[in-house]
Amino acid sequence: MSNADVALTAHLMRRAGFGTTLTELEEYVKKGYENVVEDLVDIERCPPIDEDVVDRYFGASEGGYRTTWMYRMLNSPRPLEEKMALFWHHVFATGVGKNQHILASSMQIDMLRGVGLSNMREILLALSKDPAMIFWLDNNENRKGEPNENYGRELLELFSMGVGNYSEDDIKDCSRAFTGWTFTQPPPLYPQGYYPAHFAFIEEEHDNGEKTFLGNTGNLNGDDIIDIIVKQPACAEFISRHLYNFFVADEPQVPSWSVTPPQDPDAIDTLSNAFLDSDGDIRHILRTLFNSDFFKEARFKKVKSPTELVTGILKLVGTYQKPELGMAKYPGATTLMGQELLNPPTVEGWHTGREWIDGGTLTERINFSVGELSDASKPGIGQIISRLKSNGSALSPDEFVDRCLELVGPLDVGETTRESLSRFAASQGDLNIGADDAAEENNARVVRMLQLIVSSREYQFA
Amino acid sequence: MGRPYGLLRAGFPFFKTVGMRRHTNFPVDVALGKENRLYILCRNGDASMVRKYTVDEDNLGEIGGVATWGVAIITDNEENLYISDEAKHCIASFNADGESLGTWGEHGDGDGQLNAPAGIAFDAEENIYVADALNHRVQKFTKDGTFISKWGSHGDGEGEFDMPWGITVDELGDVYVVDWRNDRVQKFNSEGEFIFAFGKSGCEDGELNRPTDVAVDEHGDIYVADCGNDRVQLFNSESRYVEKFLGDATLSETAIDYMMTNAGPNRMRDMANLEPQKLFRRPISVTINGDGLLFVADNCSYRVQVYKKHAIPLTEQEFGPPRRSPTLHQE
Repeated sequence: MSNADVALTAHLMRRAGFGTTLTELEEYVKKGYENVVEDLVDIERCPPIDEDVVDRYFGASEGGYRTTWMYRMLNSPRPLEEKMALFWHHVFATGVGKNQHILASSMQIDMLRGVGLSNMREILLALSKDPAMIFWLDNNENRKGEPNENYGRELLELFSMGVGNYSEDDIKDCSRAFTGWTFTQPPPLYPQGYYPAHFAFIEEEHDNGEKTFLGNTGNLNGDDIIDIIVKQPACAEFISRHLYNFFVADEPQVPSWSVTPPQDPDAIDTLSNAFLDSDGDIRHILRTLFNSDFFKEARFKKVKSPTELVTGILKLVGTYQKPELGMAKYPGATTLMGQELLNPPTVEGWHTGREWIDGGTLTERINFSVGELSDASKPGIGQIISRLKSNGSALSPDEFVDRCLELVGPLDVGETTRESLSRFAASQGDLNIGADDAAEENNARVVRMLQLIVSSREYQFA
Repeated sequence: MGRPYGLLRAGFPFFKTVGMRRHTNFPVDVALGKENRLYILCRNGDASMVRKYTVDEDNLGEIGGVATWGVAIITDNEENLYISDEAKHCIASFNADGESLGTWGEHGDGDGQLNAPAGIAFDAEENIYVADALNHRVQKFTKDGTFISKWGSHGDGEGEFDMPWGITVDELGDVYVVDWRNDRVQKFNSEGEFIFAFGKSGCEDGELNRPTDVAVDEHGDIYVADCGNDRVQLFNSESRYVEKFLGDATLSETAIDYMMTNAGPNRMRDMANLEPQKLFRRPISVTINGDGLLFVADNCSYRVQVYKKHAIPLTEQEFGPPRRSPTLHQE
């Protein structure tokens, strides 16, 4: 297995999944890149996670949904399914802070997991019928004769096409088409806890009048609006740019897209064409993306989101591969780094890229990573030590740095970082990793080296 | 008193609801004390507590911090509490006031070691049987944790288990184990010799979907928390399916007191469909007392639903002879 294959596969799994353990990475490399892409995209080729086991150990707990979701990210045999749920959660940002109904918010994520790899029509239809979204953007108050245009506006601006591709009149008639799209009243939180809300179409609250939307006229309902949207080249371009931003390389924040062109217009064209050729088939678009040169060449071009950083570190140290006490603290870690799952700050979602990083969040990232890598008995660190031993009894300082960078990523680092790591490695001479009488000391040196690597600027990039 | 020759099953009506959100968050098991006292083990995230009630819902307070991932609670003859903790791989004990009496068990797969202990049950001598879930076996201990015996291994044959959960011992000393991932219940004698198994995967009458607990009453009737199907099923002592319970909850007294001071929730409740609010949501444990009260921990609805058995024992003279075939002829 060549180093190039390992590096490319690791790149794929950082983007399409949440990183890998060393063992997983080796298995993926053996399968071959194209095969792995097919396994990722064609999710039925892999079994689902054992839902019963997840439910048994994390099933009932008010704070537990985020924990369960992160556990799924770490352990699902279908990592892209979870990554796409996270992608759509970024795009269709809905905050539990407004609804205060964790079940509705968590059911929205379940919905996104379920339809996330289908096609754009199905996705927008499910989104428009989702109670958490309906409440988030007030469509439950959108009635014939007294329209609320919040959902109609954001559907076009933030969820499907972007500013500049429709008129104010389109927004008004789009909103009229979604009148009467609401949800059933769930019982209150007390005394028996959260109950689900369900989509409801109230015929008497629906505006059956004639509407004109993007040049189409008729008694349009919400379904018709979505049919029209998904045929627009603007929708193909908008979703393609979102996919590029999430999977390939950081783009500017969404509100500036109408005035700032994409950094790689050819890539967006490729993805848009895949969208239009397949009627918005997300699997087809992702297959195109992961097999493209622009994706393969985009290593470390994205700042990891807090969720990617935390799950990547947990994969690296190899913990929580089965339900265990302690998993519940990790959603709190991403929150401290600026990403509270299920509670994005606004309907625009999280600002990504370099905006993930400030003095406070960077400190949290480094403290978290260093803390998780402080224990040589963790399985992933044990594996790294064991691989270092397989190189022979002694490693020169340069070999020590090189091998650790390979085993953590492989991670490319700049000159400054490289010098710092080499200085640390050289400060204690050769690493006699095979010397049993110095195992504790050697393990501590490895741990320290790994801690320095995950504290580096470069490690913040996926 | 032995088991009756037959039973006239007069009915098994809903009796009452106990608890509500904030008092009994995510109840996982119910243990019985004297004078109608109930000890309701509640687990929310990484913390477990015990809510003390009477059947009449007098609130006797709570005991916090009894476990991290508490699974089951039982009481001994002195009303001390024993609680299994599947995260810490141990059994913790407390007196009824919540003072710790100690903890035993350590993580491992050797004799006496535990890996995610789930259901626990006393026999008549107050030995404790433990469903040692991730070791796929049953272990028997004295109540202070001295290992006595074990049986079972991973599999789906007779006497094998796949992550067993609930366990109970009947008045004859036989042991019933919920074989969670095999969707069945297995019955053994006190030495671990296989007697019978019943249940298969599904949602039809008598079928099971990830059952979590089992209880046996003085008539030999077997109650199974068919958690994945959101129901409790009743089987007779020979494992023949008798009937099922889907949930019939009313508001508990505690809940009524709460609602009477909260106008908003009253309006929301009035707008909502009442029908689903009666039903079980993840009924996770079953406990039956000597008065025929069946307590079901209705896990996701923050309450315990209670049913009351009405059955009259029949003598041989009062219960016709066994029939091998059905008949249309009315005698």
